[in-house]
Amino acid sequence: MLRTTLAKVLNGAQFSPKNIAVITRAASDQAAKKPEKIEVFIDDIPVKVEPGTTVLQAAAMVGVEIPRFCYHERLAVAGNCRMCLVEVEKSPKPVAACAMPVMKGWRIKTDSELTKKAREGIMEFLLVNHPLDCPICDQGGECDLQDQSMAFGSDRSRFTDIDHSGKRAVEDKDIGPLIKTIMTRCIHCTRCIRFASEVAGVDDLGTTGRGNDMQVGTYVEKMFLSELSGNVIDLCPVGALTSKPYSFTARPWEIRKIDSIDVLDAVGSNIVVSTRTGEVMRIMPRVNEEINEEWLSDKSRFSYDGLKRQRLVTPMLRDSKGELKPVDWEVALLTVAKQLKNAGPSVGAIAGGFADAEVLVAVKDLLNKLGSEALCTEHTFPLDGSGTDLRSSYLLNNKIAGAEEADFVLLIGTNPRLEAPLLNSRLRKGYVHNELEVALIGPKVDLSYKYVHLGDSPSVLEQLVNGQHQISKKLTSAKKPLIIIGSEVLERPDGGAILSAVQKLCAATNPQTENWKVLNVLHKVASQVAALDIGYTPGVDKIRELSPKILLLLGADEGSIDKSDLSKDTFIIYLGHHGDNGAAVADAILPGAAYTEKQATYVNTEGRAQQTLTAVSPPGRAREDWKIIRALSEIIGATLPYDNLNEIRNRLDEVAPHLTRYGTAENANFFKQAEALSKSVKSQIDKTPFDVKLKELQDYFMTDSISRASPTMAKCVQAVIKQKQSKY
Amino acid sequence: MAQPLKKSLKQVKPILSLDKEEARKRVLHLYKAWFRQLPYIVRRYDIPKNVEQCRSKLREEFTKYDDIKDVRVIDMMIIKGQMELKETVNVWKQKGHIMAYFKDTIEPKPTDFLSKFLTSKD
Amino acid sequence: MSSFLRQLIKTVRTSTVKSGVIANLARLQSTEAVSVKETRPTVRKSDELARTQLVDFGKYVADCLPKYIQKVQITAGDELELLIASEGVVPVLQFLKDHHSCQFSNLSDIAGMDVPCRPYRFEVIYNLLSVRFNSRIRVKTYTDELTPVDSCNGIYKAANWYEREIWDMYGVFFANHPDLRRILTDYGFEGHPFRKDFPLSGYVEVRYDDEKKRVVIEPLELAQEFRKFELSAPWEQFPKFRNAPPAVEEVKTNKQ
Repeated sequence: MLRTTLAKVLNGAQFSPKNIAVITRAASDQAAKKPEKIEVFIDDIPVKVEPGTTVLQAAAMVGVEIPRFCYHERLAVAGNCRMCLVEVEKSPKPVAACAMPVMKGWRIKTDSELTKKAREGIMEFLLVNHPLDCPICDQGGECDLQDQSMAFGSDRSRFTDIDHSGKRAVEDKDIGPLIKTIMTRCIHCTRCIRFASEVAGVDDLGTTGRGNDMQVGTYVEKMFLSELSGNVIDLCPVGALTSKPYSFTARPWEIRKIDSIDVLDAVGSNIVVSTRTGEVMRIMPRVNEEINEEWLSDKSRFSYDGLKRQRLVTPMLRDSKGELKPVDWEVALLTVAKQLKNAGPSVGAIAGGFADAEVLVAVKDLLNKLGSEALCTEHTFPLDGSGTDLRSSYLLNNKIAGAEEADFVLLIGTNPRLEAPLLNSRLRKGYVHNELEVALIGPKVDLSYKYVHLGDSPSVLEQLVNGQHQISKKLTSAKKPLIIIGSEVLERPDGGAILSAVQKLCAATNPQTENWKVLNVLHKVASQVAALDIGYTPGVDKIRELSPKILLLLGADEGSIDKSDLSKDTFIIYLGHHGDNGAAVADAILPGAAYTEKQATYVNTEGRAQQTLTAVSPPGRAREDWKIIRALSEIIGATLPYDNLNEIRNRLDEVAPHLTRYGTAENANFFKQAEALSKSVKSQIDKTPFDVKLKELQDYFMTDSISRASPTMAKCVQAVIKQKQSKY
Repeated sequence: MAQPLKKSLKQVKPILSLDKEEARKRVLHLYKAWFRQLPYIVRRYDIPKNVEQCRSKLREEFTKYDDIKDVRVIDMMIIKGQMELKETVNVWKQKGHIMAYFKDTIEPKPTDFLSKFLTSKD
Repeated sequence: MSSFLRQLIKTVRTSTVKSGVIANLARLQSTEAVSVKETRPTVRKSDELARTQLVDFGKYVADCLPKYIQKVQITAGDELELLIASEGVVPVLQFLKDHHSCQFSNLSDIAGMDVPCRPYRFEVIYNLLSVRFNSRIRVKTYTDELTPVDSCNGIYKAANWYEREIWDMYGVFFANHPDLRRILTDYGFEGHPFRKDFPLSGYVEVRYDDEKKRVVIEPLELAQEFRKFELSAPWEQFPKFRNAPPAVEEVKTNKQ
């Protein structure tokens, strides 16, 4: 398993550029005494750099981007494409800028004749074996090879091929339903290989042969299945690895790009939604160093085709025969309003995983006006102790980026690899570069790095709290310990006791860094934190108790409440965008907008408010969610006081000011108080072993109404099952 | 204070009129020209409007720009108005062009939340 | 053994190898551009002689009309441009047409240009051709929405429709034009379509109404979003390595 040891990082720092390129925030801490900066000249511009900086990085400091194919700042340096060759004065040969650390007084010429000639030569070599199929290549228009051959290549060809021997041709590989390979286009930059082994932790890809016969592949017939596999598409500088669902659908210059936020997990990855003619064509990651760096998980990237299927496009009402019939908005709203008026205060609402903060607030305001307080979220959270009153007890307090700095991580009842792949990639980064040790209480799963499995029995947790476990010493002596607890174990009946035990455990640790938060809760759905911030009650027990006459489901599709839990005449209104479990039981359906179709606020598991932007308009007669509630309120005669987005945002600001501070994660406080309150919890942890729903990769792909409707995700599940049966 | 004063005294090349009074005369002249032509326009174009309606429309079109005080802007509009008049009187325009002044097929946009919601226009 | 060594030394001394090594070294160490004669040029090279003549001519014209010519420049390597004040349109064009050593008898085109951020947002560009000298010249002037430009209809009869076109597309008023009216747009059309602030889709849509039995004009409502292309050049990610020649080179005149 790939892992750079600490010793290697320290000793080899000056000489091995492989270790230098790795950017961990911890690295700055280690270099206690800063070595003197050295001066180099890039095109006669002097620049002072740290020793060990590569030529390429030094050039970037003065704003000169040196062309490259294989170099990538988040991957180890390979130095095999040679595109970054530059001239260094008094050096007999050009040097590879990406791999060569600068020496004192070097004069680097990034635009000299020799450099230009070297680039032109490399370009020619690359193009000798690269097919001229740009017109049918999906990378066309966003291809590094195209761009750089325009900028640095020769303006004429010497390739004549008198013997008609043809260019090198390589057989395409089948590496799964997401990535299309056209291996003839490969220029052997090995970015995909490095990504797979370093970031994804799946050592499947590699090279065979050498020289002209070199091939990138999987050695044996095997699919490249990982929860992060889609990122190799972005990494590939040419069209060798392209997206299968996106193939031949659009060109990059005709698509409109809208910055947005992903809501398929609680990480809140930043994305770019590419649309053309009112249709989502693809989703790509957007760089955000604090959340997803530049990666994106496969579910977030590829489940967009689920947004076009199983959609609710028109309001529907259940008729006397028990069938759902499409109706006009007027009819639907009037019927629902009549029911609401008859019900009086006996109204309840359950928020599902995709509910945005705007609709959550609108529903809360409406129900409060009607005299009801029965507002619940689908996912439970213990209410004992401080419950959800103190934010610190339900946030990923140390932030996602903070995870890579930790030196000891205890995971309790969670599988971060599938619940939050990008948090797991941070943990893996810490494991590879930062000597991070991981222990896990819960079912044994593959986390893509080594960890100590402590078993899945809750008794281990009790032993840890008492300090009797063999790992206890490590936990207390760790300088930067982290305890990440999955929201799933907290949904157990004894969740309160577990959280209280974990809080005790956190209090026993001794973090050496200021503002280091040990307690971290990892949520699974995007709406949970916002709902708790706004004041929803976690869990549906309240609804079961009350059995209200009217139940409003805000995209609640997990089946947490059944018709049998409610009285027979309960009128169920479903407000959401997919025809899934929730819509099946509903008496009235009000079609809402999915996350690509509205400007809406979501709060991720760290407590960071972010907003999606409207990329396409809602299909058919669907409307933005909060507007439906607003229209309904007017018909009932309890008009809500906001007509447009700004006004409802002002209302959000009144309820919880952090909800409109986009991009910043509001820190939680009152850790001490939460811990003190948790001591009052008297209930006991029962003996049922900890369990997680998502254990293996096939569980990952279809978890919510969007991904369940996505054919691509279904293919992924099939592929994983097929791979399991293969002999490799 | 000196800055705006300087600006107001900026030397500009006149288009037609040298001062406000002249511009006023030109506007009145154009208005009268239109006014006199209206009966012929109504007769020639076969529009479902009578002279009286056309006169009020003419007045409306002129009073729409009551607040314009810049002589050059007024001149520019006189030029365009003159052009329109010529197009109308010579019957270069067609029935649809004349009726476009009346905007009789344009439905008013919804203003309150609920009707905007129901027509999905916002 | 010794004989072998002698053989080796001999080989090293032979001139062919030596010169090869030297040539190699020279190639590695030299960073100066080696001027190689192009045998198959792919880019049109500008004619230096023609260029010098244009520069001289530009200076001469600037000397003759110092009141109006503000700047003389060469664009795209070999095209002469005179930048003049808007009062100077008639005298400058008259000079270029009638002067014995100019004889730009043909007005090939008048173009307009809108740059809204400038104090004078419009440029009016006259392209002239001298049949006598097989030479072209471009005269540019500037104006705004409300400043009239003198019509050159008296000098070039061709200007009549060109100026009508600019009036129609940009709303630049040409003083003393004999027949300034619309030429391309529909009667009753409002606005000037080539202005940068005029939307690509326009403000109104026109359709035939079956009930009214006539064409009606209504404000535009796009059911589908307008197709938008992203046309930024991708190789701009390496701004350092752009080797494009300057678009405009100014010619020093005696005035400056």
